[in-house]
Amino acid sequence: MITEAVKKLIRDCVGPENVLESSIDRFGYSYDSSFIPMAKEHIPELVVLPSTTEEVAKVMAIAHQYAIPVTPRGTASGRTGGCIPVAGGLSLALTRMTKVLELDERNMMVTAEAGVRTIDIYHTCAQKGLFFPPDPASWKYSTIGGNIGENAGGMRAVKYGVTSNYVMGLEVVLADGTVLHTGGKAIKNVTGYNLTQLFTGSEGTLGIITKVLLRLIPMPKARNTLQLMFGSLDNACNTIHQMLMSGLVPAAAELMDKISLQAVARHRKLDISPDIEACVVLEIDGDTQADLLKQAERISAIAHSLQVIEVRIAQSAQEVDEIWAIRRGLSSAIGAMAPNRFGEDISVPRDAFPKAVRLIRDIGKKYHLTIAVYGHAGDGNIHPSILCDLSKEGEEEVVHRAVDEIFDAALSVGGTLSGEHGIGLTKRPYIAKALGHPGISTLKAVKQALDPKGILNPGKIWE
Amino acid sequence: MKSRLEHQPLLQEVKEIVSQCDRCGTCLTVCPLYGIKDIESSSARGKNNIARGILAGVVEADHEALKAINFCLLCRTCIDSCPNKVKTDDAMIAVRQFFADKNGSPGIKYQALGSLMKNRKLVKLSAGALQLMRGMRLNHLVPHGMAPREFTRKQYLAAFAGPAILGSIPGRSPLKRSLTGKVAYFKGCGMQMLFPDAVQESIRILSTASSVQLVNNGCCGLPQLAHGLRNDFLEMAKETIALFEQTDIIVSDCASCSGTLKHVAAYFAGDPAWRERAAVFSAKVMGISEYLFEVGYQPRNQSQALITFHEPCHLGRGQGIKNQPRELLKATGNFVEMAGANSCCGGAGSFHIDYPDVSKQILAKKQQNIEASHANLVVSECPTCLVQLNKAAANSGGKFKVMHISQVL
Ligand SMILES: Cc1cc2nc3c(=O)[nH]c(=O)nc-3n(C[C@H](O)[C@H](O)[C@H](O)COP(=O)(O)OP(=O)(O)OC[C@H]3O[C@@H](n4cnc5c(N)ncnc54)[C@H](O)[C@@H]3O)c2cc1C
Ligand code: SF4
Ligand code: SF4
Repeated sequence: MITEAVKKLIRDCVGPENVLESSIDRFGYSYDSSFIPMAKEHIPELVVLPSTTEEVAKVMAIAHQYAIPVTPRGTASGRTGGCIPVAGGLSLALTRMTKVLELDERNMMVTAEAGVRTIDIYHTCAQKGLFFPPDPASWKYSTIGGNIGENAGGMRAVKYGVTSNYVMGLEVVLADGTVLHTGGKAIKNVTGYNLTQLFTGSEGTLGIITKVLLRLIPMPKARNTLQLMFGSLDNACNTIHQMLMSGLVPAAAELMDKISLQAVARHRKLDISPDIEACVVLEIDGDTQADLLKQAERISAIAHSLQVIEVRIAQSAQEVDEIWAIRRGLSSAIGAMAPNRFGEDISVPRDAFPKAVRLIRDIGKKYHLTIAVYGHAGDGNIHPSILCDLSKEGEEEVVHRAVDEIFDAALSVGGTLSGEHGIGLTKRPYIAKALGHPGISTLKAVKQALDPKGILNPGKIWE
Repeated sequence: MKSRLEHQPLLQEVKEIVSQCDRCGTCLTVCPLYGIKDIESSSARGKNNIARGILAGVVEADHEALKAINFCLLCRTCIDSCPNKVKTDDAMIAVRQFFADKNGSPGIKYQALGSLMKNRKLVKLSAGALQLMRGMRLNHLVPHGMAPREFTRKQYLAAFAGPAILGSIPGRSPLKRSLTGKVAYFKGCGMQMLFPDAVQESIRILSTASSVQLVNNGCCGLPQLAHGLRNDFLEMAKETIALFEQTDIIVSDCASCSGTLKHVAAYFAGDPAWRERAAVFSAKVMGISEYLFEVGYQPRNQSQALITFHEPCHLGRGQGIKNQPRELLKATGNFVEMAGANSCCGGAGSFHIDYPDVSKQILAKKQQNIEASHANLVVSECPTCLVQLNKAAANSGGKFKVMHISQVL
C-alpha cells in the first residue's frame, strides 16, 4: 500500500499530470501483449510517466526509501508479461521520454531516450545513410528501452545480430535512485565488468534504462526480397544451411510452416496451394543491383537443387512490401485462428531447426493440438504457437503439458527457452532447468547486489 | 475468472470483437486521441481491453469505465492499421448500449440529443432549430460557434467562379451512364439544420442527373446508435426502410448518414422479418460524391480557388469513398491534396461538444495541414466536419473558406 503522503511526494516530483491514479487509467497498465489473463492483482497502485532522468531518479529514491515495487514499462508489446506489475506498486512508463538526443555521424552512433520507438531510431539514422539493424516485428510501436530490456531480436539477426550487438552504453537509474553511466563511444572498452551488457536483457529487474547509446553501420545500398516455396520443410531448412555454408549470408531468412501459411492466407484472403509445406522469405543486401542479382541467382540454384516449387524475386518496392506483409502479419493472423494462443520463442542451434520442428509437430499430434510453427530459420529461433480454447474443459492442462514438452524438446537438441522475448512471467517455471543451479544462484547474486530490497520488477525471471 | 456478464447477448457481441485484440500496440501510434492524451485508456487497445476487463470481471462497469468508452471518435483510424482489423468502433457502440441498458438510459444529455434528432418536426424547422434547442434548454449542447455562418454558393461564385464548364449554366450535365431508376435525396438532420444552402445545391445537382424524389425522412439514427439508444435507432431505421421502398437509389450528402444507412442491413441481419428489406435498402444507399462520380457528373464551373478536400472518417474509412470526391474536385480545375487529409477533424458527432479541449487540439493539427496546403477553400462531405472546419477557418483568421462539396461542383 502506498500511503497518500508518499503519493504526494511522487506527484511533487513529476507533476500531477504525469501520475495516473483513477482505477480505470491504472488498469491500462496491468497487461501486456502476452497471453497472461488480466487480473485485478496486476493493476498498479500508481502509474508514473516521467519525462527526464532526474524525475526517474527522484521517483526511484522514494520507492527505495519506502520499499515500493517498481515495474518499468515501454509500450507493453512484450510477449512474456515483463511489464505486468504483479507485485503492485508503481508502473513506471517511459513513454514520455521520446527524444533522440544526438546523431553522431562521424562515430556512427546515436543517443536516445528510452521511450523512443524503434522505428523512429531507424528513420532518424536512415536519413543520414546510417543503419540501425535490429528490427523486431513490433518495431513500429516497441520502445528502444523495451528492446534493450528484452534484448530484442528481429528478422535481420542472421546477418546483423540482435539489439545487444548495437548497445554501446547506457544511462541507468539504479534501485536507490543513483544514476549510472555505462560504456561509451570508445569501440574497445575493457574498463571493468561489461555492465552495459549486464543491463541489456535484464527485463527491468536491475535498473531503469533512461538513455541509450547505439552503434550504427552504413546503410546497405541495395536490398531485395525473395520468396521460396517448398514441398518439404527439410528442403527449406537445407536451402538456408547451404546458402550460409557457401558464404551467402542473407540479411533475413524467415521460415513459415504450412499451418502458419494457411493462417495468413485466410487472414489476408490469399490463395496458397496446400502442396506448400514451407515458405522461406529472404532479404538480401549488397552494394549494387548487379550484386543482388548474382546472389539471387546463386540462391535460386541452391533452392532448385533442393526441389523448390516456386522462386519469387521481388520486382518492385511494392512486391517487397507484399512479401514482408505476409511475414509481419503472421503473428496476428495466427492469433486470430483460435480463442487463445500460446506463443513460444525457443531458440536452437541452427542445424537442429528441422529436428526441433519435427519434435514440436509430434507434440501437437500427441495432444491433439494445432501448433503453427514459424521463425527466424537463419538463426535457429523458432516461434511455435499453440492454438487452443481455454474455455474448453481440461484444455489448459493439456496445453501446459505440451508447452513443457516443447521446452524439453528445445533443451534436448542443445537449445534454450527464449531467443528474444525474455523470460518474464511466462517462462519462469522452466528457467531452473535451462540454467541449472549455478546459473540461477549467480543471477540471484547479481540481483541481490544491485537491488537489495527487491523492488525492481519483482516476480520476474524466477519465482 | 469469468463473470455472469459474459452471457449477456450484447456483451457476446463485444466479446467477439475485442477478443480479436492481440494487445500489440499498433493502434497507439495512429489513434488521434492517444496523440493528444497519451495514456493507455485513450487508445483502441486501452478501450478494447477495458471492454475485455468488464467481461472478465476485472474492471468495474461503472461511470469511470463508461467515460473511457465514450472517449472515442469512432473514426476507425485504428482499424485501418490494426493487424487484426479489430472493429473498435462497433465494440464501443455496443458497450455504450450495454451501459445504457444497465443504467436504464444513456444519460440525460444523450437522451435529449437523441430525442431531438428523432423528432422530425423539430429538425425540420431548420433555421429555427438551434433557437429551439435553446428554448428547450438544450443550449449547453450547442456551444458558441457550433452554428457556423455558411459560405453560400452565391458568395462562392462571386469570389471564385471561373468559366462555366462546357459553356453551360447549371443544367443537365453530360452523363457517362445514368444510374437508371428513381433517385431519392436523403435529407440529413445536420445538413438541414446547419447548412441549408448546401442542401439546396445537393438537390439542384442531383436534379441535373435525374428527377429527384424528396422524401420526408427522419434522422439516420447514428446519434442514437452511437450513444446507447439502439432501440430508437432500429425503430427509426424501420421507418426509413419503409419510406424508401419505392426508390432505386438513395443519395445522401452527409457521410455519417450514408455510412449509417449502408450499415442498417448489418443491424437487421439476425431479424428474419426485416433482414431482406434492410439488405435491399442498404444496397441502394450512396454518398453524393460516390453517386456523382458514378454517373460521370461534370462540375458546373471551373474554380479559381485552390481547393483541398477533408476526407470525413465515415466517408473514406467508413465507406471506402476516397478517390471519387477528389476526382470530381480535380475536374473543377484546381485541386491540391493536403497532408493528413483523412485524419479525423475532432468533430465526431457530439464528441466536439463533450470534449471541447481535446477536439480543439485535434482540429489545430487539421488547421495546420490546411494552411500548409495553401488552399483557399477546404471542401468536405459531412456537416459535423464542416462545423469543425469552420471553426478552423475562423481561427486561421480567414485564410481559407469552408464549403460542402455540392456547393462547388
Ligand atoms: C506483434 C508482435 C511482434 C513481435 N515481434 C518481436 C520480434 O520480432 N522480436 C522480438 O525480440 N520481440 C518481438 N516482440 C516482443 C516485444 O515487442 C519486444 O519484447 C519489445 O522489445 C518490447 O518493447 P516494449 O517497449 O513494448 O517493452 P515492454 O513490453 O513495455 O517491456 C518489456 C520488458 O522490458 C522492461 N523495460 C521496458 N522499458 C524499460 C526501461 N526503460 N528500462 C528497464 N526496463 C525496461 C519491462 O519491465 C519488461 O520487462 C513482438 C511483439 C508483438 C506484439
Ligand atoms: S492494433 Fe488492433 S490488435 Fe493491436 S492493440 Fe490495437 S486494437 Fe488490439
Ligand atoms: S475509432 Fe478513432 S478514436 Fe476510437 S480508438 Fe480507434 S482511432 Fe482512436
